Amino acid sequence: MKITEIKKIEDCFDGSTVYGYTFDAVWTQDRIQQFRTLGNLDYFPDFPRPFFRVCQKNGVQIKGIQGDNNCRVIYPQKQKEVRKKEFEEAFMES
Amino acid sequence: MTIYLNNAASGWPRAEGVCEAMTLTLQTPPFHPGRVAGGCADVLTICRRGIAELVDAPDPTRIVLTTNATHALNLAFWGVKLNDHAHVITTVTEHNSVLRPLHHVRERFPGLRLTILPTNATGALDEEQFDQALEREPTLVVINHASNVTGRVNEVEQLFQKAKKAGAMTLLDASQSLGSIPISVKKIQADLIAFTGHKGLHGPAGTGALYVNPSLELEQVFVGGTGVRSDLMLHPANMPMRLEAGTPNMPSFAGLAAALRWYQKEGAAHAQKATELANRFREALMNIPKVKVFDGTAKVCRTPVISIQIAGWAVEEIGYVLAESFGIICRTGLHCAPLIHQAIGSAPEGTVRFSFSGFNTELEMETALDAVRRLAA
Ligand SMILES: Cc1ncc(COP(=O)(O)O)c(C=O)c1O
Repeated sequence: MKITEIKKIEDCFDGSTVYGYTFDAVWTQDRIQQFRTLGNLDYFPDFPRPFFRVCQKNGVQIKGIQGDNNCRVIYPQKQKEVRKKEFEEAFMES
Repeated sequence: MTIYLNNAASGWPRAEGVCEAMTLTLQTPPFHPGRVAGGCADVLTICRRGIAELVDAPDPTRIVLTTNATHALNLAFWGVKLNDHAHVITTVTEHNSVLRPLHHVRERFPGLRLTILPTNATGALDEEQFDQALEREPTLVVINHASNVTGRVNEVEQLFQKAKKAGAMTLLDASQSLGSIPISVKKIQADLIAFTGHKGLHGPAGTGALYVNPSLELEQVFVGGTGVRSDLMLHPANMPMRLEAGTPNMPSFAGLAAALRWYQKEGAAHAQKATELANRFREALMNIPKVKVFDGTAKVCRTPVISIQIAGWAVEEIGYVLAESFGIICRTGLHCAPLIHQAIGSAPEGTVRFSFSGFNTELEMETALDAVRRLAA
C-alpha cells in the first residue's frame, strides 16, 4: 500500500497538524488490524462504514474508514516533521 | 444517502424555484440592473420588497442589497461614523463578521471603547453588565439575534429598547434568525439589521441585505457606477442606491426573489417543522449520558441549532465519522464565533453543531440521533 497524494488539511489550536493521505489501495479489515502493532487501535465495525482510529504513544493519530483509499493523520506539535517522515516512509516500504 | 444538517451554515436544498430562476437569468441577455423593465418590477426591487415585507419594514427603499450579511455588517460599521470617542457594546455570542470588523474599526480609531458582554453557562446575556455598559455613553449596540452555536435567541426587543433610551444606535445581526423566527422592525427598535439570503431563506449564496432605519443615513463606503445618473460626479445620495454600487449579482438575486416567493407561501410551516425536529432531537440528546448539549436545559426561544460534545471523541473526529461513515453533514469547531465557547464551556475545541431546516425529515432526525447514540455507546 503506497501513498499517492499528501494534502495538509489544517493546523489545529493545540499546535498539531492534520494531513490527508491517499493510497493506491483501500483499507481492508486485515490492513486495519495490522495497526495493532503500531499503537492502540479502536475499531468500530458496526458503523455503517467501519471507522478505525490508531493512537500511538508518541501522540500520532491515524483515522480512516474501511473501504476508503485515504486516511487522516494528526501529528502533534512535538517532533512533527520527524513523525510525519516516519509515517510516510512506512508506506514507501510496504 | 446524505443527510444535510448544516443549515445554519447554508440552507440546503435551495428553495423551490431558486435554481430555475438563476439559470434563466444566466441564459437571458442581461437587462439594465436597477431599472423597471416592461412595467413589471425588476428582480432587485422584488427582493427589497420581499425582505421589507418579511420584516415589517414599511419602506423597501430602506433595504440595501448586499452580497451577504458580512457585507451588510461592514456597511453598517463603517457607515455609522465611529471614531476615537465611540463606545460600542456587543456580546460574546457574535460571529467573526461582527467581531473582526469591530476590531478593525478599533485599529483605525484606537480610542474606541469596545465592551463585549459575557453570557452565563447557558448562553444568556448578562443584563446587569449590559445596564452598566449603557451608563458609559454608548454609541452603538450590536447584538446577534440568535447564536449560531447554541441557537439561543437573545431578547433584543428589551435590550434595544434600553439601548435606544441610552442614546445608542442599534444594529442587529439577523443572519441566523431570518427565516427561522419572526422579525419585525416595528417591534425591535433596530436602526440597522443585517440579513443573509442563503441560510433560513434557502436562497443562493452571494445575497444579503441591510435594513437602514429612515432616521439614519449611513456614510457611503462603496461608491461607483449605479447605472443611472451617470452625469453626477458623486455617487447618488438617495436610498437604496446610496449604499449600492457596481453591477449586482443578478443571477443570485433572481434566486433570492424566488426564495422569498417560496418563503411567503411556505416559510412559516417550514420554520415550525425545523423547530419541532430540532427540539425533539435536543431533548433526546439530553438523555444520552456521554453527550453534553450546550445550553440544553434553558427553556428559551431558539433557532433549530444544537451544539454537542461526546465524551471520548474529539469534535473534529465526530464530524469526520458522521460524514464519512454515516453520511451526515454537520459542522464542527468554533463556527466562526470564537468568544462564546469560553462562556458555555465548549472551549477550546468547540462543538459539533447540527442545524435543521423544514426540508429535513423525521427519519433523518432519527438517523442522526441513532448515529450519536452509537458514537456515545
Ligand atoms: C450569526 C452570524 N452572523 C453573520 C454570519 C455571516 O453571514 P454571511 O455568510 O451571509 O456573510 C453568519 C454566517 O455564518 C452567522 O451565523
